Amino acid sequence: MADPLRVVHYINQFFGGQGGEEAAAAPVSLSEGPMGPGRALQQALGADGRVTHTLICGDNFFNERTDEALAAITAHLETARPQVVVAGPAFGSGRYGLACAQVCLAAQKLGIPAVTAMDAENPGALNHRTQVVMVPTGETAAGMAEALAGVARLALKLGRGETLGPASREGYLPQGRRVPFDRGRPGHLRALDMLLDKLHGRPFQTEVPVQMPDRVAPAPPIADLSRATIGLVTTGGLVRKGNPERAVSRMASRFHRHSVKELESLSGNDWEAFHAGYFNHIVNSNPNYILPLSFMRDLQRMGAIGDVFEWMYALPGVGTSVANSRVMGREIAQDLKAGGVDGALLVST
Amino acid sequence: MGIPVGMISAIYELPLNTGANRVIRGARIEHVCGDPALGPEKDYAYGMRIVKAAIETLQTPVERPTLFNPLEMDPLPHLATAEAPHAT
Repeated sequence: MADPLRVVHYINQFFGGQGGEEAAAAPVSLSEGPMGPGRALQQALGADGRVTHTLICGDNFFNERTDEALAAITAHLETARPQVVVAGPAFGSGRYGLACAQVCLAAQKLGIPAVTAMDAENPGALNHRTQVVMVPTGETAAGMAEALAGVARLALKLGRGETLGPASREGYLPQGRRVPFDRGRPGHLRALDMLLDKLHGRPFQTEVPVQMPDRVAPAPPIADLSRATIGLVTTGGLVRKGNPERAVSRMASRFHRHSVKELESLSGNDWEAFHAGYFNHIVNSNPNYILPLSFMRDLQRMGAIGDVFEWMYALPGVGTSVANSRVMGREIAQDLKAGGVDGALLVST
Repeated sequence: MGIPVGMISAIYELPLNTGANRVIRGARIEHVCGDPALGPEKDYAYGMRIVKAAIETLQTPVERPTLFNPLEMDPLPHLATAEAPHAT
């Protein structure tokens, strides 16, 4: 029988027995052998793997001094030379989840495969699940045994250099990649099976799942509009006449911002639409149809709003990937917040 | 804490289904805030109604993606008599 795989386990100060919040500032430390949930991990690994070391770091230390924590962890991993790294499970704990995900990324940078486990809504999963193998768990440690069983199975596979199959089969969070495998039955027959199941009201599993959009908690309303600064954003492809910034007309990966500080209205002499998804000629005659500056200035004069934010933001919203949309949306939102904006209107063609 | 965003769109099902929380029904894809076919005065009034409704949503609490139809609202009623004649 082959030697057991060398496993290094990362846990936080709580699971490491150092304490709760009062110990969350604890720096990175390394101990030999398994600790806390590592003992159950060791049991789940059986004779195939051996937890040689446990890395412990306080959740606050990791998240406040991330570079320092990762440098220490990287140094320990280089010394301990594990064949696979296990982090967590972090369940619903946000700081711990972020730490686990980043420890896995650090291991992967060293060429060491890694696996963690957490709730699918954990910020660590929301930010890193496309880059790190994550076993889904519930929000609390009640699911520890089940989580560790999944983690141990995947850790052994990864440590042996095996390629993982699809997420749904292997039991990790989908990473947004397609992994082909043989289903043992041709597509047209599977489609007919599915149709029959549907017609008979039997459960069936689609092979083309639709990615559900993110849910964003609604922001609270503005208490006093008459003092509020309102930002304007459009996905209608608004550009300066002649498009001197050379904005694209589709599949945007960046947005442009323009000052409207001195403007009362948008004139077709100075602005136009450059957008591959609709006929632009009406907007070209009156760009306020997609960025309602003229109306906003009137509302400002009437005292309905306090001010129009000095910058407006524009991009063509056609063929844009969800990933790019998310990045641009975040950047625009950060800019608006940094500028003291209280609310925004987004006009979408 | 986030800031509220009113999303004006003629294809309002799309933002509703993708999780935008304050959605205002716009006129048409090619002229979201108004309608040139109505002539300058009514075009302006229609656009103003849409933008007022959008502003009103920013002071309206919502709990989930919610559609606001400017034609079924009386947005910012305290301004109803004070519309400026500033045409676009």
